[in-house]
Amino acid sequence: MPSVKELVKQYQPDLHVRDYGRVVVDTSEFMSIDSGDVIAIDGKHYLVFRDAVERGFTYTDTKYWVKKCKELETGDAKLLKLVFHESFYLEYGCVKIKCFRSPRKEARMLDLVHGDTRFMQGHSARDSAGNQVRIIDIIQGKRIDQVVANIPTDHETYFHDHYPAILDRFIGACEAIAYLHDKGERHGDINLDHLMKEHATGAYRWIDFDYAYEAYANPFALDLFGLGRILACITGKWLYSPQTLLELEIKADISQLDNEDFSCVHKNEIMNLKKLFPYIPTRLNNVLLHFSEKSEVFYDTAWEFTEELRTCQDPDQ
Amino acid sequence: MDFKKILLAVDESENAMRAVDYVGRIVSDGTSFQVQLLCIERLPHRDLYPDEDTWKKACEVARSDMKAFMNKARDRLVKLDVPDSAISEQYVTSCISPFTDTAPKCSRGTSVAHEILEALKAGGFGTVVVGRRGVSKAEEFLFGSVSNKIIHSAKDCTVWVVS
Repeated sequence: MPSVKELVKQYQPDLHVRDYGRVVVDTSEFMSIDSGDVIAIDGKHYLVFRDAVERGFTYTDTKYWVKKCKELETGDAKLLKLVFHESFYLEYGCVKIKCFRSPRKEARMLDLVHGDTRFMQGHSARDSAGNQVRIIDIIQGKRIDQVVANIPTDHETYFHDHYPAILDRFIGACEAIAYLHDKGERHGDINLDHLMKEHATGAYRWIDFDYAYEAYANPFALDLFGLGRILACITGKWLYSPQTLLELEIKADISQLDNEDFSCVHKNEIMNLKKLFPYIPTRLNNVLLHFSEKSEVFYDTAWEFTEELRTCQDPDQ
Repeated sequence: MDFKKILLAVDESENAMRAVDYVGRIVSDGTSFQVQLLCIERLPHRDLYPDEDTWKKACEVARSDMKAFMNKARDRLVKLDVPDSAISEQYVTSCISPFTDTAPKCSRGTSVAHEILEALKAGGFGTVVVGRRGVSKAEEFLFGSVSNKIIHSAKDCTVWVVS
């Protein structure tokens, strides 16, 4: 088997690599796969740059099983997601949900959405030990909450000038999720950081499908709630709690808010945005209120949600 | 609508056994009641397991538990003086299972409540009975509530919710 130096010299002669990298064919021990190593899988070679890192406002989480790589044969940037079976409790607002990281679910989903640009693209391949590695095309873009927050204008201007186009694209993204549900699949982790706006095309694209959880009586509800939360974020230009209203100096009378105006799951997030921004149409606000403590009726399907959102695009409503 | 023709939907929970107990006590002194125990199979999801073998084993355990519960529920009704001849059973297998079932109808698992209501209509039942867990609004949204969905969607029948 050729060494890392030889492989790089053959395919990417301009790249400089360290001397002691190794060629890895069995990715089971992913913690030991480091920068400068090459993962050889399915006839292709992936030079590892670093572990992927997830950054939140208060945390930095290194994902040791996700490697940022360059495919030596093509020079393309790729994300290699190695097999890591993990189960954990996801704290979703006030509810704890037992989640599982499922490589085979994500591999199956990649096949299902192949060629559908509403989703990240990639494929899976087995390493020498039979591990199902997912090889993902990296999306150059920005997460949806940062897209709307970074539009340099006040909310009212944003809502009238920018929001209609954003809502239209978001509805398209919701229809993509409805399509998954029609196929009996769930995204599993619909969150603000998993809907990206691609720089080059402006397209909204879903990423990261490897979460699985027990089905319960309403298997698509967690996805649906994720959509509702993103809708609140793009409609408000941020997700608001009483504290963030103060921090962002939003002029709103907090004393007007009562318990029923907040999310029924994320108890400090305001869903009744009309109380903050009175020009938000009632019909649109009513969609948001389906996710509030006030709601007695929830959406049954993602289609029901998207169809109601479509009616909110009608300027006469 | 024959309200004495009762569809008693159960899973393997304590709430379901409470519903069984309640039905047994209500109908035990009547002679013309018919009770059908209905179980919509809910198997563990395949994505929660690293491979097909482990998933199949978990499904075998789950199916065995549910069938044992059906037997226990039947025994309980009989013990409460419901005539054995008045009790029937329907076990709807999951469409997504590692087994090669040949039942004409299977459960897609997307809405247990709607599948119960389909069985209600198909069997001409006048009463449907379910147990209730008692969940918060958030849990109801995220995990669903079979009893609430039945209350909202049932037509031309009586609904008993035992909590």
